[in-house]
This record gives sequence, structure tokens and C-alpha cells, in this order.
Amino acid sequence: MGIFSRYAEEVPCTVEVSHRFESLHAHVRFNNGAVIYPGDEVLVHGKPILAAYGELIVEDRQATITRASALERLWTRMTGDFGFMELCEFSFSDEVTL
Amino acid sequence: MNATPKALEAEYAELAIQTQQETQALATETTLLNPRFYTTDFDEMDRIDVTPVRAEWDKLIDQMRSDPNKAHFKKNAEWDADWDGMEPKLKREFIDFLVSSCTAEFSGCVLYKEMKRRGNNPDICELFNFMARDEARHAGFINDALREAGVAVNLGFLTKAKKYTYFRPKFIYYATYLSEKIGYARYITIFRHLEANPDQRFHPIFKWFREWCNDEFSHGEAFALLMRTDPKLTQSFANKLWIRFFLTAVYSTMYVRDHARPEFHKALGVDIEWYDQEVFRKTSVIARQVFPVELDIDHKRWLPNLRRMRDAFGLMDEGKKQGGLAGWIKAKRGAVIAAATFVSLYTIPVIRSEPPKNVRLEPAY
Repeated sequence: MGIFSRYAEEVPCTVEVSHRFESLHAHVRFNNGAVIYPGDEVLVHGKPILAAYGELIVEDRQATITRASALERLWTRMTGDFGFMELCEFSFSDEVTL
Repeated sequence: MNATPKALEAEYAELAIQTQQETQALATETTLLNPRFYTTDFDEMDRIDVTPVRAEWDKLIDQMRSDPNKAHFKKNAEWDADWDGMEPKLKREFIDFLVSSCTAEFSGCVLYKEMKRRGNNPDICELFNFMARDEARHAGFINDALREAGVAVNLGFLTKAKKYTYFRPKFIYYATYLSEKIGYARYITIFRHLEANPDQRFHPIFKWFREWCNDEFSHGEAFALLMRTDPKLTQSFANKLWIRFFLTAVYSTMYVRDHARPEFHKALGVDIEWYDQEVFRKTSVIARQVFPVELDIDHKRWLPNLRRMRDAFGLMDEGKKQGGLAGWIKAKRGAVIAAATFVSLYTIPVIRSEPPKNVRLEPAY
């Protein structure tokens, strides 16, 4: 990992999208156990996965993990905490006036 | 292209299907769910040892495993939604309420699932697995209510580039603990109010709030236990300041954001300020189980500063919408007022207490 340079990694992944009454969720799992670090970016290849209502889609796809540079990683670690309000989004909307 | 009649036919058929889909897409409003993705110090989380709270921990996990709300999230004859009869302004605010609730549940699910998957600590993984299950179930239930209103959620975000944000574990504990407990207080306050005033219940989803918020309550309990495994998290000087900071930021944000939905609260017959104070009061009483400090919401500087905060955010919003230099100045003025107001709220003397020996609570409101 360079101080300024980023690099990309191709990994196989499994996506699971559930658009059902009993569960609404969407997850990506990296099949080779790749770990995401602060500031990394993940892009799942291919067409958008559009699960219709009532559908559960499990698909194998490729993903690109763009690893953050050391500097970016440090920066994300230092500043990430300030975005904590996102974790508290209990039925708030971003708009002050609708 | 040299197409045979058969191929042409197939192409037309495909076109027809496409057009049909487009028409359907027009008839429904689509909302792209846009959850954020987080990462944390998983090694630190793996080192959590629940031994000091083992007895209480096992009891809570057993309760979650038994899944008491499994049968609760089903629609029955009590579900009597009438979207057509709803006043447009109210409908708009109510849909916004549902979409943001759905996003919150959904994001919680993504976060918890991620923690479950990446952790190696069996106690922690089991907990996050149950919490992810509950959040996905809640999101599904809200999503179904939205569908009836002609709002479809789009889960296509997965194939867009996503950046991972980092939070230290303790920030996740403070924020999610508060978020779950406030979620409980918000839901139960609305439920009790509508129980006393059933004529103001303009949508059936509120009837489900009582059992629903018990999930939020027990998730909060789990974080309370986690914080108890390491006394430094709530007792050190710096962390007490952090807790105070979190409480101030979360309470004031809630006040500002709730005021963005006047029609929604009017229809419920709820005065927003009364409602928010009620939610703060319940949350503060509950949070004594783990936080050694509590905000003084009856202090004479509290409400006037919250109102000032709301106006400052209004100014920022106006400025942004207005644009140009004048708009920019207005927005900056709002930001300066908001910052000063925050300092004023933050420095209101807090109420100190000694958290009880036994941390566990049961929902009592």
C-alpha cells in the first residue's frame, strides 16, 4: 500500500437482495474473504440487481475493491467519527423543510 | 439488421413488455434506498469479553433467539389503510416519514450484518445476527406499507461504487444505543398517545408500534451490556464528554428534523415540542442504566436554544435554496448561529448519576 497511490483488486462476490415482505435486505459477501478497510471503495460489476417485490436474488458477481492510499485510510479513520449522526437516523429525513 | 419475422416478433414483444414496465414505473414513485457502508476496528470488537455480564447477556440472547415478535409483523384485519382519503400534504410528510424509517432500519441491517460477518467473537456475531434479522423484518414491513401508497423502493444501489466510512467501536455503541432507545421512546410515545386518541390514528401502521418498539428496546439493552463490559467506555473523563456530546447532538437534531413535518404531527394531534420533550425524558430515564450523565432538559436555556437551533437550520436551508452570494452569506450566518447555539446547549450543566449495579431494564412505558 503506497502513501499516495491506490490500487484495485478484483474479487469474486455473492450478492443477496431480498425484496420480500418478511425481509428487505441487500448484502455483498466477498467469496475469498477479502476485508474492507477505511476509505476503500467497492464496485459490484454488472447490471443493477433489481429484485421485484416478493423476490430473493442470490447471484455470483465480480467486484472491484479500490484500496485507499495510506493517507486516505488515515484520513478516513480520523474523520469518520464525525459522521456518526448517520447512525442515528431514526426516521429523520435530511430535509429541514419538505 | 437482417431480422427474420420471428425475431422481429420477439423484438416487438419485448418492446411491448418494456413499454408496459415503463408505464408501471411511471405510475409508481421510485425511491432509491441509499444506505451507507461502515467499517470499524473488528479486532477490537473481537476482544470484547462479555464474561462480566454473562448471566444477563445469556438471558437477553435467549430472548432474542426465541424471536417473540416473529408473528407480529403480519397484516391482518386491523390493517385498514386509506391512502386515497389522505390529504396530499399529510401524505407527502407521512411518506417521507416511512421512507426515512425504512432507510434507517435498512441501514441498521446492513451495519449489523457486516459486523456479524466480519467478527470472530461468537457472542458478538450471534447478537448482530439477531439484530440484523429484526431490522430487515421492520424494513420489509414498512416497505409493504409504502407499496400500498404507490412508492417502490429500488435496491439497485449495490452496483454503484460505495465508499466505506470508519467509526471507532465506541462511537458505534454510543450512537446505536441512543438510536435504539430513542427509537423505542418515539414509537411508544406515539402508540400511547393514539391509544388514548384513536380517532387521530390516520394509518394502521401505528397499531403495530408497541411490539415493534420492544425490538428496539432489546437492541438497546444489548449495547448497554456491551458498554458495561469495559467501565472506561462510560466512566473516563473524555468519554463522559463524548456521551454528553452525543446526547446534545442527537436530541437537537431530532428537534430540528421533527419540526420539518408539521402536517404529520398535526394529524396525529401531537404538539411537536411536547412530543420531543416527552421522548427526551423517557430516553434520559432509560439511559441512566449506563450513562453517568444526563442532559437537563428542564433547564431554562434548553428549549430557547433548541428553538434557536431550528431557526438557524431554517436559515441555512433558505440560503442554500436561494443560491448566489446573498444565499451563501445567509447559509453561513445560519451555520454560525447553529454552532454557537450548540455550544450553549452543550455547556448546560448535566445531571450526574451512578449507573445501577444491575444494568438490565424491561420496557415499562
